Amino acid sequence: MKNNSEDLDNPEHERLSTKELTLNLGPQHPATHGVLRLVLDLEGETVVKCTPYIGYLHRGVEKLAEHRNYLQILPLTDRLDYISSMSNNIGYCVALEKLFAIEVPERTQFIRTIVAEMSRIANHLLWLATHALDIGAMTVFLYCFREREKIMDLFERLCGARLTVSYPRIGGLKNDVDPQWLEDLYKFTDEFPMRVEQYETLIDKNRIWLRRTKGVGIISAEDAINWGMSGPALRGSGVPYDVRKAMPYGAYDKVKWEVPTGKNGDVYDRYRVRMEEFRQSNSIIRQCMEKLPEGPIMADAPKFTLPAKDKVLSDMEHLIHHFILITKGPQTAPEGEIYVATEVPKGELGFYFISDGTGRPYRMRIRAPSFVHVATLPKLCEGELIADVIANIGSIDIVLGECDR
Amino acid sequence: MTVNEFVKKILFIEILKGLALTFKHMVTPAITRQYPAERREPVPGSRGLHALVRNPLTGKEKCVGCGLCAAMCPSQCIHIYTSEGDDHKKVVDRYEIEVLRCVFCALCVEACPYGAVALTEHFEYSGYTREEFYYTKERLLENWDKYMAGAKGEEYFEKFWRPKSVDFATAAQAVQAKERAGQ
Repeated sequence: MKNNSEDLDNPEHERLSTKELTLNLGPQHPATHGVLRLVLDLEGETVVKCTPYIGYLHRGVEKLAEHRNYLQILPLTDRLDYISSMSNNIGYCVALEKLFAIEVPERTQFIRTIVAEMSRIANHLLWLATHALDIGAMTVFLYCFREREKIMDLFERLCGARLTVSYPRIGGLKNDVDPQWLEDLYKFTDEFPMRVEQYETLIDKNRIWLRRTKGVGIISAEDAINWGMSGPALRGSGVPYDVRKAMPYGAYDKVKWEVPTGKNGDVYDRYRVRMEEFRQSNSIIRQCMEKLPEGPIMADAPKFTLPAKDKVLSDMEHLIHHFILITKGPQTAPEGEIYVATEVPKGELGFYFISDGTGRPYRMRIRAPSFVHVATLPKLCEGELIADVIANIGSIDIVLGECDR
Repeated sequence: MTVNEFVKKILFIEILKGLALTFKHMVTPAITRQYPAERREPVPGSRGLHALVRNPLTGKEKCVGCGLCAAMCPSQCIHIYTSEGDDHKKVVDRYEIEVLRCVFCALCVEACPYGAVALTEHFEYSGYTREEFYYTKERLLENWDKYMAGAKGEEYFEKFWRPKSVDFATAAQAVQAKERAGQ
């Protein structure tokens, strides 16, 4: 190319030099946490426009659910937010128990609260690990996975699977916890607050971390509500809304805990909220273990829960219930619609069912927090630098399995 | 910025604290496992490869071919073909599991009224073709002999066959005793 004054005066050259750059980020970018694709219009290093494209992980969970009976859908919910599948399972079961009007035993409520908080810790550990890795802190990644591994091991001992747990059942649980398991969990909760302090030593005051997170991706409380944000992303903006407090389920109203909130609504505040949630979850687990009542773990609802195995073999009615429940699903499901929300680590997970009285849902709609949070990305990223896009994606904690369903 | 903060900033106090922590971890024992060489003890009840239970009394499968596991399976990977045998009894001709489609939820174990299907703790298996993951009845029975033979298999259903009632152990023993008397 010739480089002389004649070329610079050329109007063609001028047109080219002021053009915006369109950058395609993802879907196979490691920092997009799954298969999120963002198309960024850049002016220099500033993001002018950010357009998220989703759907790369669409498996049609909602449609699949229409062809399965209520008992079979449970493993599908594992695969929504695969980082904290326990919370999804519980959300599904809580919603159906409300629809079927099943009274769940108290011991089950407490155990569910324990495992849900364990999955919250596991989720936030993975979030912290990847978020720190995106921003450039490698050490935190390794430390977080060390603790996450312990929770995964506890899950495996509890129900036989590490990630896709399928542990709760409609009206109860797959199995009871054993004392040795509780003891080991107690040891973990003893040690865990010290570990949280270690992560904070590494990044909380680190000047690089502060420069990358403070004042980045600010969203005001009003905007956060208007965009439908929930969970730590909303609480980071200073709105003390938590489904566990607002509409308590499980044993959340029987233990003492606080809702941590941020102030500025930037990436740093969302990070602080999650770090506080580590401590709150830990304390909830401790309190639930101390208060854990004795009793049965399955509700007395033979039309909706599988009968005990020994009774199946010795009792006519139980055998009939067993066959009907498995082949056709609960036959006495009440007709109607229901929406029940639970607080999963990422925000408000809602299950909306339309039941037509058969053993299958006529429609199952999932209100996934990640889906809503992906929609806020343009709001967070536009006008900021391209490096901040990565920090923003990390701070709203999205999983595309849940977003695309 | 106060003097204190300024001194901390120019001396890199927070970074030195972080480095001290990482250096402390250098001398603590490693928690990573050198996988193929070092293996973890399998967790009892871990949901791995399938097996069909061999009845120690008859030497054949316990399965009666009721098809509840196939009905319960969310990924529909169990196929059962039955026919009428001697004395109009149901005979299980083929019992096949497509392992590649399985999601390892163990709902089949829960659905089986006889305790005839199990998930073993074995999870390290591989193959070059899809056919290798199409487990026939014979191969599934072999799995039972390989991974669950003896006391382990007996224990499996006492521990992991759910849901159960409060007096499950005694009730199950009574059922077993009745079965033995019948044989």
